[in-house]
Amino acid sequence: MTEKAMARNIYLGEVSRNEEVRPDFFLMKIRLPAQFERPLPGQFVMVRVAGLQDPFLSRPLSIYACKQGPRFCTIELLYRVAGKGTRILAGLIPGSQVELSGPLGTGYRVDRTKKNIVLIAGGIGIAPLSLLVRELRRRSCRAADAMTVYLGARTETALVGLDALRQSCSRIIVCTDDGTLGEKAPVTKAFQRDLPKYNPADTALYACGPKPMIRSLAGLLNDQYFCQVSLEERMACGVGACAGCVVAVKDASGNKAYRRVCADGPVFELKDILWE
Amino acid sequence: MLKKKSKTDPALAVDIAGLKMKNPVITASGTFGYGEEYAEYVNLNQLGGIVVKGLSLKPRLGNPPPRIMETTGGLLNAVGLQNVGVAAFLAEKLPFLRRYDVAVIANIYGESYAEYARVAEKLSAAPGVHALEVNVSCPNVKQGGLSFGANPKAAAEVTRRVKAATDLPVWVKLTPNVTDITVIARAVEQAGADAVSLINTLTGMAIDLRTRRPHLKNVTGGLSGPAIKPVALRMVWQVAQSVAVPVIGMGGILTAEDALEFMVAGAKAVQVGTANFINPLAAEEIVQGMRLYLKHHKIKNIAEIVGTLQV
Repeated sequence: MTEKAMARNIYLGEVSRNEEVRPDFFLMKIRLPAQFERPLPGQFVMVRVAGLQDPFLSRPLSIYACKQGPRFCTIELLYRVAGKGTRILAGLIPGSQVELSGPLGTGYRVDRTKKNIVLIAGGIGIAPLSLLVRELRRRSCRAADAMTVYLGARTETALVGLDALRQSCSRIIVCTDDGTLGEKAPVTKAFQRDLPKYNPADTALYACGPKPMIRSLAGLLNDQYFCQVSLEERMACGVGACAGCVVAVKDASGNKAYRRVCADGPVFELKDILWE
Repeated sequence: MLKKKSKTDPALAVDIAGLKMKNPVITASGTFGYGEEYAEYVNLNQLGGIVVKGLSLKPRLGNPPPRIMETTGGLLNAVGLQNVGVAAFLAEKLPFLRRYDVAVIANIYGESYAEYARVAEKLSAAPGVHALEVNVSCPNVKQGGLSFGANPKAAAEVTRRVKAATDLPVWVKLTPNVTDITVIARAVEQAGADAVSLINTLTGMAIDLRTRRPHLKNVTGGLSGPAIKPVALRMVWQVAQSVAVPVIGMGGILTAEDALEFMVAGAKAVQVGTANFINPLAAEEIVQGMRLYLKHHKIKNIAEIVGTLQV
């Protein structure tokens, strides 16, 4: 190992903004050294308050946006306060230091041969998919109306990231559980209604959301579609060493195996996931 | 590594039952994968040793998720010894580790005495494995593990079988989930253990009040991290007074100060575990911190502080 390769991917970052954009949803901007690798949509970072040992573990948060400049790289994390760790992160003021490693894990694989791009997001699952939408616009020159996003949340105030998403995508179907905005239905219900419009041969699906949403999607698609999903799990190391964040999958020979969400994912082929 | 040593640089090298390591800082089993997971973060050449993830004869699927839960100052895990198996380790993982100048200690696990011996035998035939650490202390598996480690006769028998199957130094990793850890330590010493390492995790649990279910699918798990350090220190101190073989101390070590406390309590070397998860550079920083401490206190050799606790 050369000295240069040492300590790669571990950074001290400075919080430049941390705002509550919706009740319990925060957007944190972190300024990092310019050598922070360009993240793929779907990749995440492990982040912790510098020097703080309680909570003990870093928190895995997917990357919502990344701007690379000549001197700095700024990443944005859109996150929901779910417990002690994220609550402490939410309390950080600009100027606070965070320890951060990343980008980690696998990203979504963009299949350029597919005509239809369909994204299905539940709740905070919007975060990695927003980065994917922007990358698709920028890199694959997809027009704003060439992608369809199905976005679901509990209620209108939990529909985070919608306004920003409208700037890069003009076909957004919104659902809320309580009907406060868009259709009063689970997001998978709205998608199911449109499913006959999407031919498996020319459709690529990308999803991120709570497990029940992913599971019901698996039931709808029945292995007939190219569909990649990003999974969320509690993590300890974030780099594949502890095997704490596993998900059950079918391996190449069809047998059950546990794969690490942090290192083998977080993006998986939906058809590989075993639902037990 | 060509690094000019100043005359005042303290000696960190240790010899654990014939295994020479450049410093007494070792990464603990189950917290450092097979080394490769951390290779892009850590200069593996700076470590004294790496204990690889517990190996069994056949690959093991491990326990169903959720497998981990954070608790105050610690981490509960019930991974259940998911591993690639000894054959895949030798073919796919060991060649990578051999590229580094670091002691490789294989942690081994079996469901029967015979299986422990088979795993030991297979690993001993391979160049690049420098010692075996016998896991008789995993709280998260149904067979083997604790059922051997909590019983002095069974722990001694595993030790004897492994010793008979290998020429490598044999460390036995002890569980804290017993009434008197020194009884087990003495039993494995008498059975031929070349060193003992302790402590493995403390059995614990965490409950989700909202659902009134355990946070872990396995219901119970092993607690590690700074929360267990006082218990680990006490046990290392007790065992160091009870056996003549080297003691390798671990349990919640985050910093060089933590590591040095274990050495004062009687540990000849230390293992860094859960700390790797929150700081991949923890072990490397502990080596640097030890060096600074010794320099500052004008101690020439790390061995001088081992077992110097004043009571």
